[in-house]
Amino acid sequence: MRKQFVFGVVAAISVALLPAVSAQSASADTNWATCTDIASCGGMGALVKAAQAEGSLNITTVLRNWADYGDAIDSYQAAFGIHINDDNPDGGSSYEIKSIQTAPAPSQPDVVDIGASHIQQAMTGSTTGGSLFAPYKVVTWNDIPSLWKDSAGYWFGNYSGQIVIGYDAKLKVHPTKIKDFTNPAFKKVVGIAGDPTGAQEALISVMAATVANGGTFNNVQKGFDFYHGLKKSGNLSGATADSTHIATGNPKLWLDYSFNALGTEQLGAQIGKTINYVKPSDAAVMGTPYIFGINATAPHPAAARLWVEFLMSENKGHLAKDLAGDEASMVTAGTLDGGKLFNSLMGGQNIFQLGGAVPINIAAMKAKKLLVPSPTTIFQSNPAADKLTLQQPTVAQQATATALLTKLWPTL
Amino acid sequence: MKRQFTWLDKTIIAFAGFFFIAPLIAAAEYSARGYGNKGHTLSNYSWIIHQLGFSPALWTSLRIAAITILIVLVLMVPTVVYVHLGGRKYRRLVEILCLLPIVIPVVSLAIGAQVAMPKSLQSTSYELCFFYVVVAMPYVYRTLDIGLQSVSLSTLVEASHSLGANWIKTLLMVIIPAIRSSTTGALFITFALSLGEYTLAVLLHFHTFPTWATNASQQNIYGSIAISVTTLGGAWILLILVAFLPRIKSLFARKERVA
Amino acid sequence: MVIADELAAPTRLMGGSGSSRPKFKFDKSILGLLPLFLFLGYFLLYPIASIISASIHDNKHHLTFVLYKNLFTGNYREAFIGSFKLAFYSMIVSGILGALICWSVVKTSGVVRTITSSAAGVLANTGGVPLAFMFIAAFGQEGLITKLLLKVFHWDLYGGSFDLYNFWGILLVYCFFQIPLMVIIFTPALENLRVEWIEANESLGGSKLQYFRHVLIPVLLPSFFSACLLLFASAFSAFATAAAMSNGSIPLAPLFIGNLVNGNVIPDQANQGDAMAMGMIIVSLFVIAAYLLLLRVTRKR
Repeated sequence: MRKQFVFGVVAAISVALLPAVSAQSASADTNWATCTDIASCGGMGALVKAAQAEGSLNITTVLRNWADYGDAIDSYQAAFGIHINDDNPDGGSSYEIKSIQTAPAPSQPDVVDIGASHIQQAMTGSTTGGSLFAPYKVVTWNDIPSLWKDSAGYWFGNYSGQIVIGYDAKLKVHPTKIKDFTNPAFKKVVGIAGDPTGAQEALISVMAATVANGGTFNNVQKGFDFYHGLKKSGNLSGATADSTHIATGNPKLWLDYSFNALGTEQLGAQIGKTINYVKPSDAAVMGTPYIFGINATAPHPAAARLWVEFLMSENKGHLAKDLAGDEASMVTAGTLDGGKLFNSLMGGQNIFQLGGAVPINIAAMKAKKLLVPSPTTIFQSNPAADKLTLQQPTVAQQATATALLTKLWPTL
Repeated sequence: MKRQFTWLDKTIIAFAGFFFIAPLIAAAEYSARGYGNKGHTLSNYSWIIHQLGFSPALWTSLRIAAITILIVLVLMVPTVVYVHLGGRKYRRLVEILCLLPIVIPVVSLAIGAQVAMPKSLQSTSYELCFFYVVVAMPYVYRTLDIGLQSVSLSTLVEASHSLGANWIKTLLMVIIPAIRSSTTGALFITFALSLGEYTLAVLLHFHTFPTWATNASQQNIYGSIAISVTTLGGAWILLILVAFLPRIKSLFARKERVA
Repeated sequence: MVIADELAAPTRLMGGSGSSRPKFKFDKSILGLLPLFLFLGYFLLYPIASIISASIHDNKHHLTFVLYKNLFTGNYREAFIGSFKLAFYSMIVSGILGALICWSVVKTSGVVRTITSSAAGVLANTGGVPLAFMFIAAFGQEGLITKLLLKVFHWDLYGGSFDLYNFWGILLVYCFFQIPLMVIIFTPALENLRVEWIEANESLGGSKLQYFRHVLIPVLLPSFFSACLLLFASAFSAFATAAAMSNGSIPLAPLFIGNLVNGNVIPDQANQGDAMAMGMIIVSLFVIAAYLLLLRVTRKR
């Protein structure tokens, strides 16, 4: 008697849920894993719905303070209700590619953000020698410079950083150009962001030092000589210029990516140090951009595509936490249409801009007047630096520099 | 020459103590600083508990630690006992094998594990338990080995058998109690390692307490230092308590008898 | 060694006995170790075999030993030499200081003894960023102890050439986990010094100096050397601490491996990283083998 009652209840519930289940399967006709652009897959509303159905997103090697990714992650999570799993924030591009190749399917990253030096490896890294990525052209595809995107859509650039000087404001002399590092007042406290054969930031720093000393991207010997001189004169610290070491007082000045400035200044505020950033007046060097690729075997293909659409979006809008009035309540109730919701959010390209990075679509955004003003509070004023035109190396120049520094750096 | 504890010994230990305590105290002071380096506060220590995901992450690591301890108990204790009883001639061989994990960098173990282990094992975080046993093995073996050396094992086993107990009863009710302090020590080392291990967990893409804590404290340097001070200091205090347990127990026993 | 004895047994029997014994004698007592063999075989040796396999193949999956040849050239060689130097000096400093501290610790008992031995256990396992941070927080340029020394003793730690981030500074940090390790390993040897030998020396009319030269040193030296070898192996393979303390201006093998396997600049060289890791493992294995050989000499006494 009791068993029949339970069975009846279960049956009733199943019947009640049936329309919902069948409605879901009807919209799941699109195979998001093979979707190559949003127009042919049902539009933004369908993408948002599918991503929300997947429920989570795997990203990897993303630091919250890097290019203001923290705000991007929070906004995406809050607006769409999709939980983001960030794996190994301190990892590098080699780790990301290895993860796609060897991690069990559910743990693989959906989207990777790798250095330009690793494009070749990713494009030939699958078991059949093909690309690890799935081709996908975002809505703003045409605004991406052709140098930094694959013609078939397998990979595309997202942001780059300008090399700037970070320093402890308590220093008696405030540096304004890279050549200032040789000042004897800076004994033992000049830092570098790591090993140029391992950290792209350090490599581009050496390139910037080359330019500051009159060289070109084709031959970074002058940059190496500069750091070699710093080591000989005792100015170069043995400590990496990362948050742990900056927080404990050594190094006190270093070259850094512009998009790390905001996070490091906030770190300084927490520990009671005033950390300033300034654009150097003897070199305006931008690194090669970082590159997005969607994992061809992504466990959450729709959420992955929504993530890159979000990060490549040029919308002005608001961060999810700043959505006001009707929009905010509709987000909470889940009744706002996916497409409308997406358009009310600040796009990733502008979030990168606020974080001090140079968004890849910057030229088009300036023309369309979609670019939010660059943050004025992050950098100290240096009119001489603002007059310079930004230079950026090519992947080939970066490879040549890597080869040279691999030979030279151990002799530092 | 009775080995007296001279002033020279006292000085040496004092200097050594200073060298090892100073960094811990310095880190503790740093982690207790208030925002903007104004004053001191203990809120940096309780901060982590309020972060989203604290309980699930801690619970995951505790489960992994429990299974790891179980594997150590079932695998290592009988093995080391066996080496001391019937397998004496294999002592050197087992010692070499149990020393091997010291030589293998954890990074290499993780890379090899990803290629070698079947996908079904790799999909569960309990895969970590097996590798934690491997990493803990040198310390566990050493602790159990030293403990068993100080017990007259064959006498105990003979007595137990003559009273009619089988091997399992002997193991559980005679041998393990006899080496209680080293077993506890070995299990404790395993526990501390499982709870605090980061590299293997992160490279194998699992979400344990250390990986979660590192992620959560990205923008809070005081918080992350507080976590490492708690781990180190907490491990030390617990280890001391464990070592003093028999003393404390006998203290209570004596009080009861007197009363 | 032991394994060789066991392998010799069957052939002896096969060659000589001529009795009704079976041709092949299988020593069943080794079955007791089967669980350990299976466990380590699958969870330790099998993953390492995968790394060995990766290190002898290039990116096109062709068998090659060039990755190992590379280890003897250029910057890989510099990295190995750097790691070797650091491990060697760390072994000497920690070995001597550790032995001295051990000598004093062994004389303590009770509460002090418990505290020091449990401290040694915990400290020997520290490393990586937490250890580096603790040290910098204490002895760095803005460190607590640095400031204390300046205020109280007017001694500017950084007035001279002291630097936590050069070779000797990193060595100092290594001592933090090496010395406790030495204390842990060397304590049994010191505890075994029998009082009877002291009395025998006195009854034979020997002075303290003679005791030192003819009894103490010969007994302790093998244990000391074997302990030092273990220290070397531990320092040589210390990954996380090297990475946390150095930015690459001092070439160290673990940093190179990190750049190849987890870096952002050099693509597709993971196999070379594996070969480097195997190179480090092989060096450590040689050292452990020497340690065990020395231990045999000690045990015989």
